[in-house]
Amino acid sequence: MVSVKPGEHLTKLTSKDDYIAFREQAHQKWETLWNGDATVVSVGVGSSSIAKGALEVLEQAHQVGGNAIIREVSGNGAFWMEPWIEVKRPGVDPILYGPLTVDDVAGVIAGERNDLAVGVRGANPVGEIRPLNEHHYFKHQIQLLTRNAGLIEPDSIEDAIARGAYDGYFKVLFEMSQEEAIAEVTTAQVRGRGGGGFPAGIKWESGRKARNNPKFIVCNSHEGEPNVYKDRHLHECDPHRILEGILIACIACGAERGYNYIGGEYPLGIRRFRKAVADAERIGLIGKDVLGTGKNVAMRVRTGGGAYVCGEASALMYSIMGVRGQPRTKPPRSVEEGLWKRPTVANNTETLANVPDIIVRGGEWYASLGTENSKGTKLMTMQGPSKLSGVVEVEMGVTMRHLLDDIYGGMREGYTFKGIQTGGASAGPITEDAFDRPIDFDSLSDIHGMLGSGGWVLFDEGVCAVDMARYLTAFSRYESCSKCVPCRLGNPALVEILDRIRFGRGSLEDLALIRRTSKYIIELSLCGLGQVAPVPLVAFLDAYEEEFRQHIVDGVCKCGVCPISADSRQAVFTEVAAD
Amino acid sequence: MVQPDHTHAPRPVPSPYTGRQEIDLDVVREMLSHFTYSDHEEAQELILSALQEINEHFGWVSFEAAEIVADHLGTSATRVFAILTFYADFRTTPRGHHHMLLCHGMSCYVMGSSKLVQKVRDEYGIGDGDTTPDNQLSVQVANFCLGVCDRSPVVKIDDEYYGHVDPENLTDLVNRAIAGREAMQASEVNHG
Ligand SMILES: Cc1cc2nc3c(=O)[nH]c(=O)nc-3n(C[C@H](O)[C@H](O)[C@H](O)COP(=O)(O)O)c2cc1C
Ligand code: SF4
Ligand code: FES
Repeated sequence: MVSVKPGEHLTKLTSKDDYIAFREQAHQKWETLWNGDATVVSVGVGSSSIAKGALEVLEQAHQVGGNAIIREVSGNGAFWMEPWIEVKRPGVDPILYGPLTVDDVAGVIAGERNDLAVGVRGANPVGEIRPLNEHHYFKHQIQLLTRNAGLIEPDSIEDAIARGAYDGYFKVLFEMSQEEAIAEVTTAQVRGRGGGGFPAGIKWESGRKARNNPKFIVCNSHEGEPNVYKDRHLHECDPHRILEGILIACIACGAERGYNYIGGEYPLGIRRFRKAVADAERIGLIGKDVLGTGKNVAMRVRTGGGAYVCGEASALMYSIMGVRGQPRTKPPRSVEEGLWKRPTVANNTETLANVPDIIVRGGEWYASLGTENSKGTKLMTMQGPSKLSGVVEVEMGVTMRHLLDDIYGGMREGYTFKGIQTGGASAGPITEDAFDRPIDFDSLSDIHGMLGSGGWVLFDEGVCAVDMARYLTAFSRYESCSKCVPCRLGNPALVEILDRIRFGRGSLEDLALIRRTSKYIIELSLCGLGQVAPVPLVAFLDAYEEEFRQHIVDGVCKCGVCPISADSRQAVFTEVAAD
Repeated sequence: MVQPDHTHAPRPVPSPYTGRQEIDLDVVREMLSHFTYSDHEEAQELILSALQEINEHFGWVSFEAAEIVADHLGTSATRVFAILTFYADFRTTPRGHHHMLLCHGMSCYVMGSSKLVQKVRDEYGIGDGDTTPDNQLSVQVANFCLGVCDRSPVVKIDDEYYGHVDPENLTDLVNRAIAGREAMQASEVNHG
């Protein structure tokens, strides 16, 4: 498996000056690395590239690298170029090569494989090879949260510090009051990235004002949705940024302990984050009397067990407390009574990862990015048959046309566009009509669409609307915690109706029944899961009603996906007659 | 059905008392010794993590192992079992000799993973969470994303990922994965 970079050489820093000296050293080390005469070979290792053999590539680089410095960096979000290697030769800007196999490694390091080069990390071309930032996948991105992706070794706190990690934390520790820190976050108007879009500054302020002590900060890294992997990506490429966000929140709200609750689905991210915490503890950024300020901050990492509903804040806290993760009624809100009945501020990973830059560069700067009501950048992922695939970071307010055509390169050959599912299993699909709307937290809501956590799913004409609606409803059925009746019984009922239609036994009344049942589930469910569970289905029904009707009236699934074909329809009818 | 070569693979050992496959409880105790806590709250926070480590190591958590966890962290076996049966990652029955994780995240769904789920059902008679009667293969249908969407649909058999899988060659992949792993183990045996 991946090796863990040792951290034993790190010693505890106990004062502001100690830290400044340490930071200076880290900067120098970084400069020497890139401006020295050594050849530096970096291999992008993330869960997506490991699946394609990145660890073997790394191993091979160690074998054939000779005197070169071999580094294990993270993926850079561009899945299509994995596995990749970056080679920095003395006096030349680093060049990235990919996708490659183990057999290519020696040639690439020796500089004989320009055919595999993707781009130069730098402003100028090297020979024929163009800068990577001119590639359409990177050209339109604004990389703030992901600016260290593929660049630093995620296991090295020195790399992170050399690239500016903990500068915001430093500022909050030594130069700002709690109120000032929160004021920056409020000015920045940063809204929650976990789906809800609630302003983080307001939540923090209530957290700070809560009088019950101790208080806690919880970072919600559950990411149980089947359509997005941005938090996993952040954990793998820049764990220190997330940790810094949590620590700043702890100081600003006066919380004595931060938690990061990570879904069990990404072991590499968990490992790298744990390593980040261990190193930050070693150098004294976490612990008692941080850098001699008299402030105490502790940090705990907790993992989930693959229940989507544990992304809901109250369920998440139950899960941390070691019971079943079932949401509870509110009030009391978690800022009054959360983890262990203490005031708890919960934010999404990406929300917290925005904080260090906001503190360092100011809320005003941040608020200058994005749209009227949604500031900053947003991580987005595209799934399905797009030409390229991966995580990108773009300014709030991009249009889907720009995102899909210019960045992801449009549809793959041989596929015809049908729609894009938004908001995971919580919202509906959009079609080309909505392609020119600037995307932000609110702009898609009138058409059942949702930015949510930023995961888009492209689907083509081969995907049947009824079947996909069933897939999404079945997801909610499976993930329902079964605490309250409308969600526990309503979702299976919806799936049953859909199955009736899929098997050719539906009637037109079923369409009305879907709407009625959905309305009850939405209105009566206890938590956010149930309250949005039928939304995808209703939206699919709105957008593709014709297709639903074809199934019912004509008995055909034009995509050939549903088990409704003429024979099976007959067979099913006989079967039904038999039982 | 798959016809793998059984000669070199370590077979699960059934308990002499119950005839069931069991977990080595000494290993569990050793694992738990790393879970230390300073108060009752912290102990409760560790239940899930401890179960996760055991589940990851053995592929499942037996009732006996759950009892030890409960003892170690000062809680009841009922509570531990309540957790085991709530969270999707945990299994309370042993995994097959080979384990397949079939990605059914949205990218894979759009690219046809339903056909793979159906194929596994047709070919091996098992669905999510099941194991074949001969204990060779267990399958988990993952409704999260395995993170390799550009190769959808994706399956992971033991430690290997396979991308762009189509139902036609799924059985082939299973056979090859099984044969491959056993070939490796066989060669380890030979060299050892
Ligand atoms: C069913 C359900 C699942 C959720 N899953 C997540 C999740 O995976 N990650 C997340 O950050 N928020 C998730 N949320 C939203 C959280 O409840 C909460 O609003 C959020 O973590 C607050 O952080 P933010 O304000 O930074 O977005 C989910 C909510 C519901 C109802
Ligand atoms: S709406 Fe569904 S998930 Fe939420 S509490 Fe009710 S049963 Fe549980
Ligand atoms: S959805 Fe299957 S790998 Fe992402």
